[in-house]
Amino acid sequence: MQHEPILTVDDLCVNFYTNQRCNKALRNVSFSLSKGRTLCLVGESGCGKSVTANAIMQLLPSLSRIEQGTITYHAQEGAVHIERLSRNAREMRRLRGEDIAMIFQDPMTALNPVFSVGFQIDEMILNHTNLSKKKARERSVELLKQMGVPLPEQRAGEYPHQYSGGMRQRAMIAMAMACDPKILIADEPTTALDVTIQAQIFALMHALKEQKETSILLITHDMGVVCEMADDVAVMYMGNIVERGSVVQVMGCPAHPYTRALLASIPVLGKGKEQSLEPIRGTTPDPFDRPKGCQFAPRCDFATQECHKAMPDEQIIDQDGHMVRCFNYKELMNERQA
Amino acid sequence: MARDALNRKMDRLLLLEEQGRLSGNTTNRTLRKIAANPLAIIGLVLFLILLLACMAAPLISTYGPNAIDLRNRLSPPSRAHLLGTDQIGRDIFSRILYGGRISIFVGLGSALGAALIGVSLGTYAGYRRGALDALVMKVSEIMMSFPQIILVSILVTIVGQSLWNLLLIFILTGWPSMYRMARSQMLSIREMEYIQALQAFGIGSFTISFKHMLVNAVGPIFVNITLSTAMFILQEAALSFLGLGVPLEQATWGNILNVAQDLNILRGAWWVWLPVGLVITLFVMAINFIGDGLRDAADPTQVG
Amino acid sequence: MISFIIRKFLLLIPLLLVISFLIFLGMELMPGDAVDFMIPPDALATISQAELDLLRSELGLDAPFLVRYGTWLVNLVQGDFGYSLQSGVAVSSLLANTLPATLELSLAALVLSTLFGSILGVVSALYKGRLSDNVLTVMGMIGVAIPQFLFGLIMIVVFVFKLGWFPVGGRLTVGNEAFLQRLDHLILPSVVLALSMTAGVMRYCRSSMLDSLNKEFIKTARSKGLPPWRVNLVHGLRVAMTPVAVLIGFRLPMLIGGSVVIEQVFQWPGVGQMFVSAVRSQNTPIVMMVAFFSVLIVLIASILVDIATALLDPRVKLS
Repeated sequence: MQHEPILTVDDLCVNFYTNQRCNKALRNVSFSLSKGRTLCLVGESGCGKSVTANAIMQLLPSLSRIEQGTITYHAQEGAVHIERLSRNAREMRRLRGEDIAMIFQDPMTALNPVFSVGFQIDEMILNHTNLSKKKARERSVELLKQMGVPLPEQRAGEYPHQYSGGMRQRAMIAMAMACDPKILIADEPTTALDVTIQAQIFALMHALKEQKETSILLITHDMGVVCEMADDVAVMYMGNIVERGSVVQVMGCPAHPYTRALLASIPVLGKGKEQSLEPIRGTTPDPFDRPKGCQFAPRCDFATQECHKAMPDEQIIDQDGHMVRCFNYKELMNERQA
Repeated sequence: MARDALNRKMDRLLLLEEQGRLSGNTTNRTLRKIAANPLAIIGLVLFLILLLACMAAPLISTYGPNAIDLRNRLSPPSRAHLLGTDQIGRDIFSRILYGGRISIFVGLGSALGAALIGVSLGTYAGYRRGALDALVMKVSEIMMSFPQIILVSILVTIVGQSLWNLLLIFILTGWPSMYRMARSQMLSIREMEYIQALQAFGIGSFTISFKHMLVNAVGPIFVNITLSTAMFILQEAALSFLGLGVPLEQATWGNILNVAQDLNILRGAWWVWLPVGLVITLFVMAINFIGDGLRDAADPTQVG
Repeated sequence: MISFIIRKFLLLIPLLLVISFLIFLGMELMPGDAVDFMIPPDALATISQAELDLLRSELGLDAPFLVRYGTWLVNLVQGDFGYSLQSGVAVSSLLANTLPATLELSLAALVLSTLFGSILGVVSALYKGRLSDNVLTVMGMIGVAIPQFLFGLIMIVVFVFKLGWFPVGGRLTVGNEAFLQRLDHLILPSVVLALSMTAGVMRYCRSSMLDSLNKEFIKTARSKGLPPWRVNLVHGLRVAMTPVAVLIGFRLPMLIGGSVVIEQVFQWPGVGQMFVSAVRSQNTPIVMMVAFFSVLIVLIASILVDIATALLDPRVKLS
């Protein structure tokens, strides 16, 4: 069942050149975000999830660049090749906020502390539309109301430090959604919040997806979030997408050893203290001292000789587009059946 | 355009990385840091040259700093006198060398003395807080609200002009800012968990503050000492220029400049005041380079 | 906000009392008193100790310390700052004569250094690593290292002697007292006085700006599609300004100290020059009053900095 793609990333490679070294942060990353669906990009800290999001927005730091690959935004007018756009040129700046918007992990640091929240939302609106200041403020207040911020007229004039954590994130979402973007990239939006607030924020994002048909690229390290929010999943490890597919496919029938290990290491509420938790052995390798071949091989229970020689290519393992990068996925799936 | 240059650099790094040339050992990192800070090296070299030259004054210069030669007044630089003579025939070059000893001594000595008092107070009071801290804080506030030159001038008038008096006065007026700096370092360190652990072990305040906390603040303290040295040298120069610093009989860099208040000498005998001024500037710059280098080296967030 | 300001000023009073006490103590410790200056040296040989003592008691100079302090303080509050030991002129009128000149010089230097320091610091930060940044950094390092009076002397030699663009010194040329002519005299000393402050502000502004540009909200601003100038100048600069304002407030004592030296170099008839000659002649009342007022200015400036910080940064609590 094919869904209409709104953003396609194909064979993306991004290198970082800091400290006089070259770090290949993203390696041949490919995935597709479909219209009106949520794609969760999941993986440990440092695996490259945020780098992917930054690359899509052309917000990579100055000492890095896209080496190869394409990022294609399927706009109504036609395909836009983001990787070809210059970082601060008008076209890219128009895309940001109007077509693709982003919200960040910590709203306290992500919002400017010396300007009021209303000012910062107005700014987004004024930058992309021809509305007057007054009308922009009206719209900002309306947006805050939609996102569930109480007393929006008063709140618009207040500063970020006067908001609570959950309200700040709602304000950020209001700011991001101000121009009705087709794509919302959420980079670990609830990591800095309490669990109860987390649920509220996700409910809000879900409602947005339903009402406005916004496609959401949700970046997280929390498998629970994946199960709750995702329609599609892409699992990342050390800059590679190791498994990709719908949430049913990947969570229900994981084909990659890493995915399986991740799922096995999460405690499940209700299973009691006798449940076996298996941490993944070993540690993530130093990005400057990577293993040859498959990056996960040193920690993998299914590793064979050829795993240490070369990184496996993408393999589609069923007609629905479930992809895995593993030489030994068949073994893993057989073991599950057994 | 700048983007192209950046792209080329990145291409080169990529090539080197792929050839495996870059994965050196950790000593590489320290060397790279030092190499990335050429100014600090220049500063150190310059500082050492000037310091050693001044210390070796009797070996290098052929005249005494106070040897008067009335037949050769205000003579421009020549073979006999490298930098000429002043208005009573004293050799400028020798005066700069001998004067440097005093000026550097005053600068370094005051900085170290102020640091000794200020850091000790700041360390202990900053850790313990309470009445002692509040009192010293208030005292330092009061002292720091006097413009330094004014405070120093008053004290010089009260106790009289002499080298040692000046040293003492500088230390007395200099400790408050060292105290503040050490104290603010302590305030942030004391929040760290290992301090709470030490407290739980029952270790005494004295030991905690001096043995465990101070070692972490050593970086910024050294930076401050170098920068204070520079400041004190400049202050001594300004005071001596005004005639309020070290008495005129003893040559110091500032003293030599004192004569520049005479417009005739200013206009007609540049060798009397300009070289000294340049020496002061270079020396202070060298110290600043070293201080900046120390600050960068101590800063773990430094990115290449 | 008003109560904030009032409270700050009220807190000043106990501090001022302590400082006035220290000032008075300094006066006592400084050698010589009014009587020593009233008697010419040759008469000193003929006057007996008893007569000197009588003179002292007439002037109230033998009362106990605290009584004298009290009298002095009462006089101070009423505007009587004592008399010059040399000329007998009231210190208050001497101050009134010299203060405008110093204010003119200091304010000019303050404006110049704040303006240029900030602009150059921002430019330096935005073009970090490029030629302009390196040039400015080197210039800044020289500016901080060179003794201010030396720079003044060099400027005099170049611009006054060699080029003849400006007059030699002093504040006014007799007959030419219009503002534009006064500017002629003002430019060189104020530029020199501004130099080291400009260099300091520039370096600090650069690092504050770089800090600010590294923050998360800059990324957010970019992600909204804002043009680079707006991201840097509206978001970045605005946040960078607060620490710079604090720095300027802290550096004010240096500006006052600097004017003492610069006024001497340029023969500028201000408080600084008066102070130096008073120190040389041990003219205690002048020395101490100048000291007192310089401290007062510094303390008021720090209150102004607090107010500026509260205005610039909404996170500062006014309680």
